[in-house]
This record gives sequence, C-alpha cells and structure tokens, in this order.
Amino acid sequence: MAEGVVFDLGYRPHEGERLGRAGARRALYRDGLRRVLGLRRKTRRKVFPFLLTGIAILPALFFVGLSVIAGEFDQAATLFDHPQYFDLTGSMALIFIALAAGELLIPDRVNGTYQVYASRPLTTVDYLVGRGAALATVVIGFLWLPHLVLFFGRAWVSSQGFGSYVSSEFEVLFTTLLGSFAYFLGYAPLAFAVASVSRRASLAAGVFLGVVTISGPVSAQLVDSGFSSMGLFALQQHPGYVKDWILGSSTHHWIPERAGYEPVFSVIVIVTLAIACWLVVLFRQRRIT
Amino acid sequence: MTAPSPTRSDIIAVSGLRFAYGDILAIDGIDLVLPPGRIGLVGANGAGKTTLLKILLGVLPAASGSVTVLGHPLEHGVLEVRSRVGWMPEGECLPPDQTAADFLGYAAELGGLPPRAARQRASDVLGLVGLHEERFRYVGEFSTGMKQRAKLAQAIVHDPELVLLDEPTAGLDPEGREEMLQLITRLEGFGINSVTSSHVLTDIERTCEWVVMLDGGKVLRSGPLSDLSTSDEAELEVVGDASAVAAALLRLGASVRHHGASMVISYAKGDAFDVARDAVVATGAAIRRLGPRRTTLEDVFLGEEDAGG
Repeated sequence: MAEGVVFDLGYRPHEGERLGRAGARRALYRDGLRRVLGLRRKTRRKVFPFLLTGIAILPALFFVGLSVIAGEFDQAATLFDHPQYFDLTGSMALIFIALAAGELLIPDRVNGTYQVYASRPLTTVDYLVGRGAALATVVIGFLWLPHLVLFFGRAWVSSQGFGSYVSSEFEVLFTTLLGSFAYFLGYAPLAFAVASVSRRASLAAGVFLGVVTISGPVSAQLVDSGFSSMGLFALQQHPGYVKDWILGSSTHHWIPERAGYEPVFSVIVIVTLAIACWLVVLFRQRRIT
Repeated sequence: MTAPSPTRSDIIAVSGLRFAYGDILAIDGIDLVLPPGRIGLVGANGAGKTTLLKILLGVLPAASGSVTVLGHPLEHGVLEVRSRVGWMPEGECLPPDQTAADFLGYAAELGGLPPRAARQRASDVLGLVGLHEERFRYVGEFSTGMKQRAKLAQAIVHDPELVLLDEPTAGLDPEGREEMLQLITRLEGFGINSVTSSHVLTDIERTCEWVVMLDGGKVLRSGPLSDLSTSDEAELEVVGDASAVAAALLRLGASVRHHGASMVISYAKGDAFDVARDAVVATGAAIRRLGPRRTTLEDVFLGEEDAGG
C-alpha cells in the first residue's frame, strides 16, 4: 500500500494577473445574473425565474410544434403574432422585474455586504451598472427568447423556405429586441428605486406592482373625466404603447393614446422616469463609495 | 504629539487628520506614521478607531489633513488603495444564502482576481482559516466563530498588502478568540500587514508589535509595544521585613510603591537595580524575586488617560 503524504502548502500569494476595476465590474454582473436566476442558491430560489421563463416560452413552442405537425404556420388559427406575444410576456416581465430588482439590491444592504463592496475597487455607479446590466440581460432575454422561437419556428415551416423567410423578415428580430428593451426601461428603473428604499424584497415588489398596476385604471378614469394630461401617468401602458409603435401594430387602445398623446410622449415619460429613478437609486446606494 | 517623518516603507502616514459626524468631532487633528507589521489600534468605545479605519479605506472622507496608505495618497483616488487593502468590518457582511466557497470566490473576483484564480484562492484561504470542511455550507448556517473566520477570509482572499481588522474577536468565546488571535498573528508571515482595532488591550498585546492608543479622537501614544511595556523601574519581592527595605530605599533617594512583600522601585539618579541591592544588603532581607517591571498596555493606557485629564 502506498504511503500517503500530506503537504501543508501554507499561504501562497497571488502572483498572476489582476483585472482591477474592470474585473470587479464583470464579477458584479455575473453575480447579478446568478442572483436573478437563483443559480448557486437554494432550489426554491430557482423555481420562480425558471417557472416564469417556461410559461413565457411555452405558447411559442406549442404553436411552432403545431405548425410543424400541420406543415404550415396558420396565423389566423394561432392568433399569436409578435405584438400579441408581448402582451402575455410583458405582464410576466412586470412580475419578474418586481421580484428581481429587490433580490439584486436589498440583500446586499440588509446583510451588510456593502462593506465588502466598499473595500474593493468599485464605485456606486459600477455597482448599479453591474446590477442593472444583469437584470437587463435576463429580462430582455426573457422577453425576446419566445420571439426567437416563434421567428425561427415560422422560418422552419415556411413555404418560402427557411433562408428566404429569415432574409425577408429579418427586421422582426430587431424590432422585437427593441420592444423588449422598451419594457425593461419602462419598468426596471422604478422597481430599482422602490427596492432602494425598502428593507424587504417582498414589500418592495408589492409596492412596485401596486403602483404600476393601479396607475392604469386611475389614469383611465381621470382621462375619461377630462383630465387628459393624466394619460401620461398610466405607467403600465407606456411600454406596450411604445412596443406597438416600434412593431407598427395596434393591439390595444392605450390610455396615453386615448388622452391624445403620440407614442413619442410615452418614450419621453419612460426616459424621464428612468433618469429620476436612477438619481434616487444613486443617492440611496452612495455608501459604497 | 509630533509624528516622525514618513519613509518609503511606512504603510500608513496620516497628517493633521480631522473628521466629524455633524457637530461631534470623531478624529481631532491626528498625525501618525505606521511601519509595516502588526499594528494595534486601542481605545475605548467611541475613541475613533472604526472612523480612522474607514478613513484609511476611503469610505469616509477626511474633513482636513492628508492620508497616505501603502504609499498612495487617498486624495489621488481610493480605488488604487482598495485593490491592495482588505477590510474586516465589525458588523455583519456575509450573505446567508451563499456558500462560503461561492462568496469567497466572488469577494476575490471583486478584488480583481480572474475567476479561476479566485475560486482557487477561495478554497486555499478557507483552508487557512479552518473552514475547508465547511466551504460548501451556506454562510447562514455558520456559528459566530465560523462567521468571524469567514469575515477574515474575505478580507485576505484577494491577497492584499494590508488588512484592516475592526474588533475581530467581538462576540467570540475564549476558544474562538484564541484561534482568531493566532490567525491574526500569522498574517505577517503571509506578507500581509495588519491594523487591528480593539478595545481589549490583552488582544492587542498578544498580536501586535506596534500600538496606537486613541482617546476622544486624539492619539495618546504611538510606538513599538516593547517600548511601551518596558520601563526603568525594578520590581522587588523580599522575604522578611519589607517595610524596612522600603524605608532603606527611601533613605537612598529612590521612589517606592509598596504592596505587602512586593515593591516597585524607581531611581532617578541611577540604576534601580543597584539601589535595590544596596537596600537589601543594608537591611539583611532575602530576595525572593528581582527583575524589571513589565508594564501592561492597560497600565500605559490608564496612565496616559490620567495624564490627559
């Protein structure tokens, strides 16, 4: 029998490459992705993100599967084109963002992990950009993935042939990506702002969902009562209105539209709200620097 | 108190540093030059220890004065310093829903290490602090002692040149305290300088070679522990009539503090040992013990506080 020898290697200093601030930013981004998706966490943390993603992608897989069996994509039968698909996934993205924003910001503050960030080569802006980019990647991916499935599924069964379909309809990939970004920008900054002032993720999610959801009916009532400027306060409606503008469709009679505002006003509201929320979050998270 | 001029090898140089929380002055114009090695920062609660550490880390901005850490002035930017410094805060800083290995790897990456090297370092450092077996357990399941060791591990996982430790033995039982003090003492052997803040003077005595005493935001004393703990006084214990020996010492011009058979002798005109010998010969008493008086950090600290009013 061979004799085993235990070597105490002691402390070995790191003599390799150091990536500095850029490496720290990438680490923040990767950690954000893992946190939003519940990876390297207990199983219950993974359930919700993957369940939502599954539900979002299931209709696309179903209709593509049906079309493969039938041999042709029947749009009239499925009633599900790209703009309508956003109406399903957009509501799910709202819930997803509500939960993910709190998960990204609140535990660091409550658990004192800020103190670790404060001892690393990072600024508050690095921290927020890393967290925001992680959420953007997951949310835009979540919104865009079903469109990719739908697009390439259609291309697969298209009578034009795969290549011809892709080359003739290629623009759809860009417009759906842009539409996905509109949903992210319309919801995520407000969710981050609420999370930055709360100590409980569930409470932050509830407040965010409540404000966004209630803003629609309240604005509608006020618009119908003659206060047309209140149409700009229908927070849940702006991303959908902008999405229809980008995709050249009209799936709803949106509240800002009823109040007489062009889609460009919704873009202005989204951008203004995003900047205001960014400033709130920056102020609240300033302790890292 | 005038600080000596900093040299290239000094790890910390502070000049005219002031900091206030609103109207409360926490750091009151201090000057410090600290050499490499194990530095102890002692003072009562509220003396300004944590504030000073946070200023050294660049978390709190100095109201006035200059701070140089590892040869890099903080006013030129704190990020360069932070990539070379580790920080173990007194409070909680560990996420309970991550395993120790995952969090340490992340902490190393945040310090600028590439992902693969970070994972390796996390494993190595958890081994060094005695958490190798527990590295895949969630931090939320750790005991207080394990959390303290994990906190120390995150402070050194990116291989810093200097680590700032704020009350590292807080909340530990005697065994855990002993292990933590041993770990801190080993840091110098790893090439890591340390500044340990504590209000427990015996912890500093055991782990540090240089001591800074803070009180009310001011530096009472700063110097090598050996200079603070030795004195020119002699400690004498006799068999026989101690009062007669004490009287003889006084007649010879020495000062005596006398408790039973023991006495502390100081002699301004010469060597305290010579005058002790003469007094013992004159009275015919027998010596049980004679040696230099070892002052504790507590003696020095209380003496300085009394002197400061």
